[in-house]
Amino acid sequence: MRDEKLRILVEGALMVAVAFALSFVKVFHLPQGGSVTLGSMIPILLFSARRGTGAGIMAGTVYGILQFIVEPYFVHPAQLILDYPLAFGLLGLAGLFGEDILKGTLLGVFGRFVSHFISGVIFFAEYAEGNVYAYSAAYQASYLVPEFIISVLVLRVGLYNLVKKSNI
Amino acid sequence: MIGGGAIMGQYYPVLSPVHSMDPRAKIIIAVVFMVVLFIGNNFWAFLVMGAFAALAIYLSRVPIRLLVRGLRPVLFILLFTLVLHLFLTPGPVIFQIGPAKATWAGLVQGLFVGLRLVILIMFTSLLTLTTSPIELTDGLEDILKPFARLGVPAHELAMMMTIALRFIPTLLEEAERIMKAQMARGADFESGNIVKRAKSLVPLLVPLFVSAFRRADDLAMAMEARGYRGGEGRTRMREFHLALRDYLAFVYLGVVTALVIYVRIKFGPVITRPL
Repeated sequence: MRDEKLRILVEGALMVAVAFALSFVKVFHLPQGGSVTLGSMIPILLFSARRGTGAGIMAGTVYGILQFIVEPYFVHPAQLILDYPLAFGLLGLAGLFGEDILKGTLLGVFGRFVSHFISGVIFFAEYAEGNVYAYSAAYQASYLVPEFIISVLVLRVGLYNLVKKSNI
Repeated sequence: MIGGGAIMGQYYPVLSPVHSMDPRAKIIIAVVFMVVLFIGNNFWAFLVMGAFAALAIYLSRVPIRLLVRGLRPVLFILLFTLVLHLFLTPGPVIFQIGPAKATWAGLVQGLFVGLRLVILIMFTSLLTLTTSPIELTDGLEDILKPFARLGVPAHELAMMMTIALRFIPTLLEEAERIMKAQMARGADFESGNIVKRAKSLVPLLVPLFVSAFRRADDLAMAMEARGYRGGEGRTRMREFHLALRDYLAFVYLGVVTALVIYVRIKFGPVITRPL
C-alpha cells in the first residue's frame, strides 16, 4: 500500500530543493543582479499543477521560509511575511487550473506579484505621494514578467508531460 | 562548494552562550524584540534596545564584520530612509538644496529610523548566524505545534524543510553535472534572447526533474518501509530543553520591554513617523 500523502510531501520537499539548486546555478546574469533567480519558480509551479493547490501552497511557503533563512533581506515585520512565506506560498495558486499551465502560472505569478507589491507599497507609502503604487508595480514587474515568460515557455514546451501524475 | 553554503545558510559555528540557547527561545526572543523595536520611539528607548542587542552580539562571539555584511543589501534603503526623513520633516532648516529643505528634526528622525533598521537587521542576522537551519526548522515546528489544531501543518512543513535542506547540495551537484553533460553535447545556456534561453533550459530541467521525482519516490518508499507515519507521536533524536540561560534571556527581554514601554510613556516620541 502506498501512502499518497507521504509521497506528495516528499515530492514537494524535493521540488523545493530543485528550486534552490536552480537559484544557485546562475544561468542568467541580469544587470541589477541580486534576488533575480530566473527559472527557480518552475519547480513550485510544476508541483502545484501536479499535486494541487494545497500542496503547492505548502511547498511555496517552505521555499519562502528557507529563502529567508539562507539569505535574509529584512526591513519591516510586514515585509518579512509578505516577501517570504506569503509571496512564495501564493505561487501554489497555480494548482487551481490543474493541467492548464498558462492560466495556472499566470495566477500563481500574479499572486506572488500582489504580495511583493503590497510589501513595496507599505514600505514606500510613508514617503512618496501617489506614485508609490506605480513604483512598486514597475519594480516587481521588472523581474516577475521575465520570470513568468520563461516559466510558461519551459513548462508548456519542455515539462508538460511531467505535470501528469501518471508519468514517473 | 556552493551547496555547503546552502545547507548551512549563514550559520557561524562557534561555541557561545547564544549558540547553545534553545532555538525555540531564540526565535521567540527575536520576534518579541522585533515588536519592541517598533514600540521604542525616543532616545532612551534606543539606548536600552541598543544595549540589549549589543549584549546579545557580544555573547554570541560572532565577528562584527559578519553582522555588518548583513547590512549590505539594505544599504540603499538605509540611505534612502535617511535622506527622505532629512528633507521631508518640517522644522528649523539646516541647509537647502533648491526647494528641498533639510531640517534638524529630519536629521534626528532619520538617524533614529536608520538606527532602528540597523538593530533590526543585525538582530535577525544574529538568529540565523547562531542557529543552524536544522535547529531553526525544529524550533519552528515546536512553536507552530500548538496551532496544528487550527489546521497549521506544523510537522509537515518542518519535515519538508528538513528534506529540502538535505537534498539541496545533492540536486545542485546533479544540476551542475547535467549542465556539463549537455554543454559537452553542444548545449548553449548563456546566449540569446529570453525565448531562446527558456528553450535552452529544457535539456537541463527535464533530466533534473525526472531524477528529482525518482528520488522522491524512493525516499517516500524508504520512509514508509521504516514505519514513518507522520508527526503524531514522533520523537526526536535531540529534544530541546529550556535551560537557565534561556530563562535568563527571557528575563532580560522582559526588563528591556518594560523599560522601553516606560520611557515611551514618560518621555514621549522623538520619532513621529513609523518606519
